[in-house]
Amino acid sequence: MNAQTRAARKSVHHTVGAYDQKAAMLFLTPMVVVLGVVAVFPVLYSFWISLFDIKLSRPHRTPFVWFDNYARVFQDHMFWDSVTRTVSFTVMSVAAILLVALCMALLLNEEFRGRRFLSAMLLVPWAIPFVANGLMWKWIYDSGYGALNGILYQLGFIDKYLVWLGDPDKTLPLIANAFIWKAVPLPTILLLVTLKSIPSDLYGAAKVDGANVWRRFFHITLPSLKPAFILVMIYETMMAVRHFDLFFILTEGGPADASHVLSWEVYAETFRKLSFGTGAALAYIMALLIFVIAYSVIRTLGNKL
Amino acid sequence: MARIKFERVSKRYPNGFKALENLNLDIQDKEFLVLLGPSGCGKSTTLNMIAGLEDVTEGNLFFDSAVVNAVPPHRRDVAMVFQSYALYPHKSVYENIAFGLRMRKHPQDEIDRRVRDAARRLEIEPLLERRPNQLSGGQRQRVALGRALVRQPSVFLMDEPLSNLDAALRISMRAEIKQLHQAMHTTFVYVTHDQAEALTLADRIVVMREGVVQQIGSPDEIYERAHNMFVASFLGNPPINYLDGQLEVGNGAVTFRRGGLALLIPPELAQKLTAFAGREVAIGIRAEDVSEHGAPPAGQALAGQITSVLPVGSDNFLEIEVDRKQLFFRVGKEVHHKVGDSVVLAVNVSRLHVFDKQGGQSLIWQKVQA
Amino acid sequence: MANLGRRALLLIASIAFLAYVLAPIAWLVSSSFQSESELTSKPPHWIPHQPTLENFATIFTANDRVVTYETRSEGVTATSGFVPSTAKYLLPAMWNSFVVAITVVVLNLLVSIPAAYAMAKIRFIGRTSSIYFMLVTRVIPDIALVVPFFLFIRKLGLLDNLLSLIITYLAITIPFSVFVLLSYFESLPDELDKAARVDGCSRLQTLLRVFLPLAMPSLVAVMLFSFLTSWNEFLLALMFTQTPAAQTMPIIVASFTSDFTISFSFINAAGVVAIIPPVILAVVFERYIVSGLTAGAVKG
Repeated sequence: MNAQTRAARKSVHHTVGAYDQKAAMLFLTPMVVVLGVVAVFPVLYSFWISLFDIKLSRPHRTPFVWFDNYARVFQDHMFWDSVTRTVSFTVMSVAAILLVALCMALLLNEEFRGRRFLSAMLLVPWAIPFVANGLMWKWIYDSGYGALNGILYQLGFIDKYLVWLGDPDKTLPLIANAFIWKAVPLPTILLLVTLKSIPSDLYGAAKVDGANVWRRFFHITLPSLKPAFILVMIYETMMAVRHFDLFFILTEGGPADASHVLSWEVYAETFRKLSFGTGAALAYIMALLIFVIAYSVIRTLGNKL
Repeated sequence: MARIKFERVSKRYPNGFKALENLNLDIQDKEFLVLLGPSGCGKSTTLNMIAGLEDVTEGNLFFDSAVVNAVPPHRRDVAMVFQSYALYPHKSVYENIAFGLRMRKHPQDEIDRRVRDAARRLEIEPLLERRPNQLSGGQRQRVALGRALVRQPSVFLMDEPLSNLDAALRISMRAEIKQLHQAMHTTFVYVTHDQAEALTLADRIVVMREGVVQQIGSPDEIYERAHNMFVASFLGNPPINYLDGQLEVGNGAVTFRRGGLALLIPPELAQKLTAFAGREVAIGIRAEDVSEHGAPPAGQALAGQITSVLPVGSDNFLEIEVDRKQLFFRVGKEVHHKVGDSVVLAVNVSRLHVFDKQGGQSLIWQKVQA
Repeated sequence: MANLGRRALLLIASIAFLAYVLAPIAWLVSSSFQSESELTSKPPHWIPHQPTLENFATIFTANDRVVTYETRSEGVTATSGFVPSTAKYLLPAMWNSFVVAITVVVLNLLVSIPAAYAMAKIRFIGRTSSIYFMLVTRVIPDIALVVPFFLFIRKLGLLDNLLSLIITYLAITIPFSVFVLLSYFESLPDELDKAARVDGCSRLQTLLRVFLPLAMPSLVAVMLFSFLTSWNEFLLALMFTQTPAAQTMPIIVASFTSDFTISFSFINAAGVVAIIPPVILAVVFERYIVSGLTAGAVKG
């Protein structure tokens, strides 16, 4: 091979960039392939399925029905009720999470002995599996021997044991409580980190200006936490809307559909009624709902930043 | 590998920004070449191209006679010292220095010998077991140098290595780098925006501005025979003084006129200016190119009024107003001056710079259309 | 004086904090050490008066105590509480969970690390698109994966196979892992990358020898996250597994709660066993989790 051929060969890859491009493509391929198969494909396939009338009870006939499934879903009473319940569950949970997380973050922000221990303990609720969480609270809420009844009875608030989860009026708040308890650690960490990044000079200047504790809190702390609040709100809203595990363990959608939320509806439709077409449509609607919520929250509140 | 050659090299970014325009540069083996210019002029880009960290968009880059445009940095035989030193935080000083040799699979005993040699030469032997975060800025700089040295590459690249050091350290490190160059007998390519540094260290200087080479030459050449006004202003501290005026050609002599001021251009320079009669020019007088011994001969006198006197140890800086223009000169302390005095200085006209007022090029050292 | 007031306030707040966080679990643990009869007293015994290890023994030797018509009378009479028939599957299910979680962690690392490095440090065509791609996949809820995956996996015959879980969990965990690693890599200086390449490292070597050691905190966070997510995941495991051969821990634990004749003491003991690994991991690695999380989250 003479110098000319060598030079010609070299001009094909005539940049260092070509080497980098090859390396980058190699590094990226596994992720693209994996995500393409397990994330992108199912979403597209899911949409495709929702256009058919698939019932596993009669697997051989699956007519193409365009958007019939969606129409059916939107006309279903149960769907809209589920949406309402999901909304109230979500609002309840997110509000409480923000409040509790804020208090915890404020506490952990202070310097005192034993703070490290508290921080380590903070992550415990987050770490335990949802099923264990559900189990735990189910036992606490138990009408016969539960701890909730026990404490209230011992403290004299009630004079006989009450039914908790079985009471349709109390169901959603109780499930929400279990959800909140497990969800609080992450937002606490996020708020704490944000709190730590507020320059102490701001507080110093405010003190010199004569602001008292409340003033400082409302005019410095809260506004600085705003981006973190928004992030938490978005994340926990998404988590609450799609949450399923606790509803399965604690109440299975009951009693009398009191906790029949959207995620339960998807499950029931797909795996109890075995109607996959409508199940897929429901799932898709839910996914879109989550997207829309996240997007609109970012837009409206983010702009005010 | 001895020679590095840039042939019509340009660098354009995807957003359209042109970092380098038609660079033609021949770097000689074993020379100390300095790339000098303000930020954004393309000097770091040029250096990165030699290392292989930036792509060549157009043109060819040669190492000896081989085109290396496509060769990735780890296959080039260059070593580099970065402005921020870029030491590996998780490795000891020893491992930092040894890293390049390990990657190239040198045997352990040779690595050990070379690392200790380099450490001794740079006086960092006691630091070998420490981590970078336990070192001072100056010490880190030496480790960075050691890391490059130990590789014994064909080219040393240095990207403003002294910028982060305090002034005293900078001056002593300059001397050390110069000694290193002499001891290593290797090509050094050095990037800086500090003209004093360039003048001290370089065999040759490449002055760059906005991606275009302004002039390539030895420090003396660049300083005394600047090709354009940018180069003339960039080198020299305090900066060169400019005066606008006209060139008068007559009776075999060329004179610079501005109002009442007339400076006679000496014959060896005048012969190049005869074509420019009546031309609007800017002359450049360096601060040190004047003197105050007795009455200046005709055609060398610069008269003005003193507007400030700044003593600087062994000399005085005089700010003089000449024809509504403020000029800075450096004179000895023999004559006592005060603000408001009139003064006449003798200009060393053989060191005069004459530039075309419109284009800025030197009418003496560049070819300009008459 | 104000200092004392502050200290008192902090003390009260700390106690409230610990009570809120730990009390439910403490009760769970306490219950697991009580026999069925003690457990069913009113009001409840907060601390066991007669602690017993029987419940835990049952878990580890569950084979012997399956409820049949004949053995019914051998149960504890107070509440007719019995050991559920699925009890003997708890430990194998935990093993399944463990296998799945470890595999997911390993695959996560193999896939995410190179991708994150490339996106952070290499300028290549398609870089911005790949970042958007990764962010979009992060938002997909598991619900949307249920139906298509179920049908698809059924067609592949993988329905009762741990493999189906592994694949699905990858979909959930990888976008997050890539995001965390990407943020961390971006925070490491570019010049380090350049120095390594000039020193003789190919892109791969730069990643392995320079960036990986420096990214330890976020690597630990990623491993913990993928592990815990896989360990705790319930819905998808419910969908894709039918027999104990492939069922994971959450499924088995959930099966206990739907049986009305179960002994509560046993359930609580099972719960305790199920939460031990994640809790230990969380407490021990708390600092890594926090720094790994916040590197990504704060930047949005």
